[in-house]
Amino acid sequence: MNVLEIKNLTKKFGDFIAVDHMSLTIQEGEIFGLLGSNGAGKSTTINMISGLLKSNGGEIYILGKNIATHSKFAKMNIGIVPQDLAIYEDMTAYENVRFFAGLYGLRGTELRARVEEALEFVGLSDKQKSYPKNFSGGMKRRLNIACAIAHRPKLIIMDEPTVGIDPQSRNYILNSVRKLNEMGCTIIYTSHYMEEVEELCTRIAIVDHGKVIAEGTKEQLKAIITDTKEIWVEVKTGEPMDEKSLKKIKGVNTVTVEENIIKIISQAEINNLNQIIQFFMNHGLEIRSLQEQAPNLETVFLTLTGRNLRD
Amino acid sequence: MNIINIALMEFKRTIRDHRTLIFMLAFPIVLMLILGTALSNAFDNTIKIDKIHVLYTEQNDSHISSAFHTFIKEAKRENMYFSNASASIDGKRAVKQDEYDAYVEITDQGIQFYGSERESIKASIVEGMLTAFTDRYNLISNIAKEKPNKVQTVMASAGGSYVKETSLQADRAPGSMDYYAMAMTTMIAMYSAISASFLIRSERIRNTAVRLAVAPIRKMEIFLGKILGSIAINFVCILIVMAFSRFAFGANWGSNPGMVILILFTEVFLAVSFGLGISYMIKSDQGTRTIIMIILQLASFFGGAYFKIDNAQGFLKLIIDLSPINWAREALTKMIYNNDVTAALQTAALNVGIALVFLIAAITAFRKREGL
Repeated sequence: MNVLEIKNLTKKFGDFIAVDHMSLTIQEGEIFGLLGSNGAGKSTTINMISGLLKSNGGEIYILGKNIATHSKFAKMNIGIVPQDLAIYEDMTAYENVRFFAGLYGLRGTELRARVEEALEFVGLSDKQKSYPKNFSGGMKRRLNIACAIAHRPKLIIMDEPTVGIDPQSRNYILNSVRKLNEMGCTIIYTSHYMEEVEELCTRIAIVDHGKVIAEGTKEQLKAIITDTKEIWVEVKTGEPMDEKSLKKIKGVNTVTVEENIIKIISQAEINNLNQIIQFFMNHGLEIRSLQEQAPNLETVFLTLTGRNLRD
Repeated sequence: MNIINIALMEFKRTIRDHRTLIFMLAFPIVLMLILGTALSNAFDNTIKIDKIHVLYTEQNDSHISSAFHTFIKEAKRENMYFSNASASIDGKRAVKQDEYDAYVEITDQGIQFYGSERESIKASIVEGMLTAFTDRYNLISNIAKEKPNKVQTVMASAGGSYVKETSLQADRAPGSMDYYAMAMTTMIAMYSAISASFLIRSERIRNTAVRLAVAPIRKMEIFLGKILGSIAINFVCILIVMAFSRFAFGANWGSNPGMVILILFTEVFLAVSFGLGISYMIKSDQGTRTIIMIILQLASFFGGAYFKIDNAQGFLKLIIDLSPINWAREALTKMIYNNDVTAALQTAALNVGIALVFLIAAITAFRKREGL
């Protein structure tokens, strides 16, 4: 069963086309990764799915019903975990979850039970009377999730749920995502941390310039780039790097610099390793290590969009 | 139900915001105490009259002399002291030089009176008593001519006093604490506009607007719930300030609390709608706050919140009349001191009318906007 189906979805802000005839289908039980750099159109798409923005064209179906005509049904079945914390700091954890769950029509004992269930799920049962202003970043993120799941939505949209938190809380949240999925929730997950997406998601779509440019499982996406290889060169810290000259070497497609590691994506069939090493020697760059990487999602993303996910 | 839930949440959160609560409660009460005590003299309507000194001359053996001397003795009881002028003194000049409050010449033709322009009240009192004296003298003289046997009866009934105390019931007026209780309460009611300007904006700043907007409720439920909560908490603050001024400072709130509460409630409604309306007209946070603060300060100043402005004319009067604080306070004064229900109802209707204009403007902008 399709939990979400998007057909030719378009959104314009003046002359700028944020989402350009996007089509997408997400099946029940999936953890669907949505990858795209800033401004690619992910957030606009999520906002249209959740009813925050109106589209300029196309259709969105939640559990088979068009959200244009079944807005309330759609909203009842969606839970949003926004990237920016959306909680009241001056209300206790319990009051926060209770208030938002109450907006979904829950009342009385059922409401209390669901609030307690949500708080227990995110491990904040013992903090239900505490104010979020006294919480750590990770605890606030967990409360942010609890507010989105108390009404038991079928589709949960998580927009960067692990931004700025400690590894322990991050692991807790990733495990929570898996548990929610096991409980029957379909999840749309966006993150700048490629390894999270690779670890969690059953299917992934790469969005660029408002369009889905690639979609499939991790393996399917990696298979797209069998004609490329990725070479990582570690140099002495802080040495200046002329990327443009490096790109002139035959076969080199993209070059990105992350601190003292230069990542080079090159065509697989062209043997240009000697020329690359020669380039570093000619430019007085001291090579510390050199290795060819197996293709990963980051390589796929970089190859397809020409940009890093964090750009 | 959603509206009530949202309103309750707004109410609860504002109560927990100690800074706002202190501003809404302590600020008017402290100002009431300071201004009500410091400016109490400005509201004192009584006039104290000191001793009255009158200079007089009399023609020798004037037929009125003996009666006049009796009058002088009686006048002493009213704190009026007559001094016989020596020949060398120019009576009129002495009055002009402020040495006496009045000068009187007694001749066979009657009594000539010259009063001080500077001490006009004292001079008027002397003139009044002399008029009473001459009227009585003429009456008794005529009776003596026509029916001499009745003179004793008339004199006995007239008594010795030339002053009759009559109380004129002027419009009752508030004392300083009464005035500042009304002024501060109406002022702080208008200050509800500040928190109202951040009602929806604060949800956007806090990102909770996203959660509210994705919930399966209508946008208008969110809007109305927020307004209802804001009006409720601000009105409760007003009632607390009112009760405190009544029981701690003894301020007079009249005998018709229903009408007083109606005026204040509609003023809070006006303030909340005004704040919300401005927040949709001005895009930036800072701009909204600045505009509202300027308008509130001008409305407070010209509305007589800090000091009473009497007898304003022309442009100043126009500005004063435009202040909601002024018209609410005026309506309260008329209601409390003259039981003027019409004035109270007119002001309540004006408040609601203007509030609806701002509210409609805010609702129109709110509905056009995507999200909250």
